[in-house]
Amino acid sequence: MRHNALRGNTGVVGAPALGDVVPAVASRPRAESQLAQTARRLKRSKTALVGLGIVTTLVLVAIFADVLAPYSPILNSPTETFQSPNAKHLLGTDQFGRDMLSRIIYGSRISLAVGLSSVLLAIFVGVPLGVIAGFYGGKLDTVIMRAMDLILAFPVFLLAIVIMIMFTPTAGIVGAMKVIMAIGIVRIPIYARLVRGSVLSIKEKEYIEACRALGQRDPKILWRHVLPNCMAPIIVTGTLSIATAIIVEASLSFLGLGTQPPTPSWGWDLKANVAWIQLNPWLALCPGLAIFITVLGFNLFGDGLRDALDPRLK
Amino acid sequence: MREYILRRIAQMVPTVLMITLVVFAMMQAIPGDPIITLLGDAYDEDDAARFRQQYGLDKPIYIQYAIWLGKLVRGDWGVSILTGRPVLEDVLIRLPVTLELIVLAMGIALLIAIPAGIIAAVRQNTWADYTAMSSALVGISIPDFFLGILLLLLFSIGLKGFLPSSGWVYLPGTCPTVACEPSLWGNLKHALMPAIALGVGRAAILTRLLRASLLEIIRMEYVTTARAKGLAEKVVILKHALKNALIPTVTIMGLQVGFLIGGAIVVETVFAVPGLGTYGINAIIARDYQQVQGFILLVAICFVVINFLVDLTYSFLDPRIRYGS
Repeated sequence: MRHNALRGNTGVVGAPALGDVVPAVASRPRAESQLAQTARRLKRSKTALVGLGIVTTLVLVAIFADVLAPYSPILNSPTETFQSPNAKHLLGTDQFGRDMLSRIIYGSRISLAVGLSSVLLAIFVGVPLGVIAGFYGGKLDTVIMRAMDLILAFPVFLLAIVIMIMFTPTAGIVGAMKVIMAIGIVRIPIYARLVRGSVLSIKEKEYIEACRALGQRDPKILWRHVLPNCMAPIIVTGTLSIATAIIVEASLSFLGLGTQPPTPSWGWDLKANVAWIQLNPWLALCPGLAIFITVLGFNLFGDGLRDALDPRLK
Repeated sequence: MREYILRRIAQMVPTVLMITLVVFAMMQAIPGDPIITLLGDAYDEDDAARFRQQYGLDKPIYIQYAIWLGKLVRGDWGVSILTGRPVLEDVLIRLPVTLELIVLAMGIALLIAIPAGIIAAVRQNTWADYTAMSSALVGISIPDFFLGILLLLLFSIGLKGFLPSSGWVYLPGTCPTVACEPSLWGNLKHALMPAIALGVGRAAILTRLLRASLLEIIRMEYVTTARAKGLAEKVVILKHALKNALIPTVTIMGLQVGFLIGGAIVVETVFAVPGLGTYGINAIIARDYQQVQGFILLVAICFVVINFLVDLTYSFLDPRIRYGS
């Protein structure tokens, strides 16, 4: 087209022929990339920006917890138990005299780490499985999808409990990794099924046939052409899944099956402080509100991202 | 229809077998030797060998699975180490409590979601729509156990025992022991807060879904035709549009059953409801693995059966679905 515009049918350089569509094309602005379109739509969405603000703040709080927390989250102070919010302890203290604000700040690390890592684990395992199942089909597809059905035969939370019983909950990083594994494993089929569905439709497209005709190998076709076209639903589901993963982590901790004390965890703190709810309701409210605001942030951002990536879904 | 039901029941058999396989694997993977736990301080090599032979633990793993499965089928789900009671009997006593909570929660979810979804769709982009959607977002983001605690703070502590904070009153005819005093009103008072805590999250999801489905359907030609015929808007929405919009809603409701079961496990512990959740969690804490096994098996089997029942409801909602063919 560009070549025609320069030459034209008259043979005179730069003079287009009658009926040539070139002038209209030439005056059209350059096509916007999908990424730029998504970013533009995302910027226009107030709710998505609020969500992004909440998530960014929480990530910063988790990263700089050592600097922001006024006290150690595991430092017991027997003389300062059950203090109401005051100038020294902005959110009061719990039954061991530990500063609630510091526990909330440090607790964000576990929630965010488990939320993000479990979703990444599920994506890294589920997406390749879905791609292979959808692209190659046959027995491989049957074996992979039956394995996914086995996981789906259980309610998500029950399977997470089963896995945690097998792993035996512990404290610290190892404890957090066990929770990440448990939540990640139960979320794998979501991505495998999602991607398999997309791949089944993409592999029938003409451009994939063209790639094959050009002699491209399967791994290159999958990596360069199939996978990028599956990314939008993976990103949206992934963002919204972080919110679910945070709730599952909090629920496991609430039942005593998440990371074990003294590692600060919002779910565990909520459970521990419910016993004192009549006398000190704020103790249970603080970790509960922290979970709620975090989940709300990811949901707001996920909803905005979904609308930006596919406005038809709005 | 009968063919479909039989086919679906046949499909449930391998699923339940897979569940038993996972539960058996879990029991095998739990750290520690059950014979050492059983014998405790009285452990002796000869006694241990004798017990291993008695319980079939000296046999290959697949034989152990076959023996274990055979016992399950015959109704021998083991005996609790803690109480000495048969596990199957105990879990079956608690099952109706959890099922009642799930049914009530689903009822509450529908009671909120259907009017909210309709109003949000019919009055799209008005304050009513924004209010419904904002409330739905809050409902999705609030963990059910935290909502339970908020309800407890408001109705039990704030309103001085307006609703009971814990415990359970059985429905007439469902008493597991002679000692309990069943009461319909008492049951409702005890079940209301846990059911609301469980139902609100589902209501939020269903509201969003129903609004989206209705928005799509009310732009369809058959709805325009209904309007052109001069039908009242109420009839068009409730009779013509809503029925089709409910099909994806029922699908999602089916998927939500898994989340409801999971939620029930946590919410039951908040309100000390004597259902399967409390039973299972107490068993996990006490490391009574016979009880844990019974709890997991029954919950997973319930999940399969409920999904089957949800599948059956599709055919009643949409006559175009011909399962039998």
